[in-house]
Amino acid sequence: MTTTALPYRVTPARVLRSEWHKLRTLRSTWITLAVTSALTAAMGAGLGAAYDGSGEGEMDTVLFVLLGTQFAQINLGVLGILATAGEYSTGQIRATMTAVPRRLPVLWSKAAVLAAVAFPLTLATNLLTFPLAQSFLSGTDQSASLGDPGVLRALAGNAAGLTLLAVLALGIGALVRSVPMAIGAFIGLVMILPEILAMLPYEIVDDAVRHFPGKALEALTTAQPLPGATSPSAALLAMLLWTAATLAIAATVLRRRDV
Amino acid sequence: MLTAHELTKRYGGRTVVTDLSFTVRPGTVTGFLGPNGAGKSTTMRMILGLDAPTRGHATVGGRSYAAHPAPLTEVGALLEARSVHPGRTAYHHLLALAHTHGIPRARVEQVLALTGLTDVAHRRVKGFSLGMGQRLGIAAALLGDPATVVLDEPVNGLDPEGVLWIRTLLKSLAAEGRTVFVSSHLMSEMALTAEHLVIIGRGRLLADTTVTDFVRDSGAGTTKVVTPEAHTLVRLLTAPGVDITTDTPGTLHIRGTDAEHIGRTAAAHGIPLYELTPSTASLEEAFMDLTRDAVEYTATLEGAAA
Repeated sequence: MTTTALPYRVTPARVLRSEWHKLRTLRSTWITLAVTSALTAAMGAGLGAAYDGSGEGEMDTVLFVLLGTQFAQINLGVLGILATAGEYSTGQIRATMTAVPRRLPVLWSKAAVLAAVAFPLTLATNLLTFPLAQSFLSGTDQSASLGDPGVLRALAGNAAGLTLLAVLALGIGALVRSVPMAIGAFIGLVMILPEILAMLPYEIVDDAVRHFPGKALEALTTAQPLPGATSPSAALLAMLLWTAATLAIAATVLRRRDV
Repeated sequence: MLTAHELTKRYGGRTVVTDLSFTVRPGTVTGFLGPNGAGKSTTMRMILGLDAPTRGHATVGGRSYAAHPAPLTEVGALLEARSVHPGRTAYHHLLALAHTHGIPRARVEQVLALTGLTDVAHRRVKGFSLGMGQRLGIAAALLGDPATVVLDEPVNGLDPEGVLWIRTLLKSLAAEGRTVFVSSHLMSEMALTAEHLVIIGRGRLLADTTVTDFVRDSGAGTTKVVTPEAHTLVRLLTAPGVDITTDTPGTLHIRGTDAEHIGRTAAAHGIPLYELTPSTASLEEAFMDLTRDAVEYTATLEGAAA
């Protein structure tokens, strides 16, 4: 037994370091991240190469080039879900919450660590994918360069949106505590629900749907917003609110419910 | 020092733990006994703040577990099921836990060595046997050099070598002055490891006693003796409170005294003993009687209330 005063104590910075350590010591993390980047770049290059020079002129050029981020959405969402719900399915959560019985620092740290990994990765991927795809698109109606108005903003906005979606998924994972259920809820909320609601013939529903996470991400990824479309700042705000609300509910449940 | 004060846990309409109060003192191994489903794991989870009590509270070192600034240095716990991500290596699992408290790498290596896991430290937990998994759980429990150790069924599923290792470890932890609280559903196992016993059945406290007292009060503790000079030994051992029966010639069942006394008496008089066996089976029976009574008692109460 140690009789001297111990320097050991739990601090937010230490919990953050622990969660970073947990994320980086799983092989699945690196596989997911590598696949996410590779798919986005490959889709961008593939779409660029296959484009016959017309027909998609209606589509925003950044949105077109980054169509592969549909996969990134799911991949990063699953990574977020594994960070929280995954701990319940493996039992790791008992060790985690025994080390940090105040619980909430764990949730904040998981969210921060995921965001700190997802944002630079998606941003770098986008900055690489755009010129890569554009190298096939010169002379078509989708031709653009990084310096064109709105392009850099859209590439960064997409990265920010994907990051927020991943954190939102992490919150859903903490909330439902089951990996398959969380993935179902995430895909339902981001990809399916907006499409179903959009079929309803009400103006107000259309307005709301445009601020759903999946739709807001599209608005964020647009270099030249069409008149009447959601502005990038409104879309970013909507996504921030969705993510913050999900995390807040997850935090409340985490505090109250038995582990 | 670990204290449970009127702990009660209800899940929906089902009460799993009822008004459970007890104190676990440092320096000895305290066994937490009860049949499967008696509420042992739930109680331990409440002590560690994983489950919130419906009523009552538990304190460790005078405070609730979550109120400690460095909980891992206060209590080390091994919980019922595996609490490890299978995709991480043993070393990184422990290091991630250590990081939360600023515990250095050197301590991680120490507990790996202490639990005999150094050679497999960089293997993923996925491939661990049950015994290795238990050892990793114990390594995690010892990480913060805690004053109190709480272990839920640590010998479950272990091979004899592992069981012996746990017994020795628990005793040495207690000898170092730590509070050691260990659950089991096997009286015979606890009789070998623990000095103090907290026995529960159906979530209620049935006995808070020492192993010695439990053995004496239960009337268990029969010693089987096989000797060619049974008559002489009976004459020498006959005393108030000593009860000797025999079923086959040369075999005695002696109650009210212990194997040590019998052995010394025989040696002093040059009586050869072929067998001198303290019976633990009867201890198990006494424990089962105690918990069975509790079940009937609760059933009667419920019947009366209805």
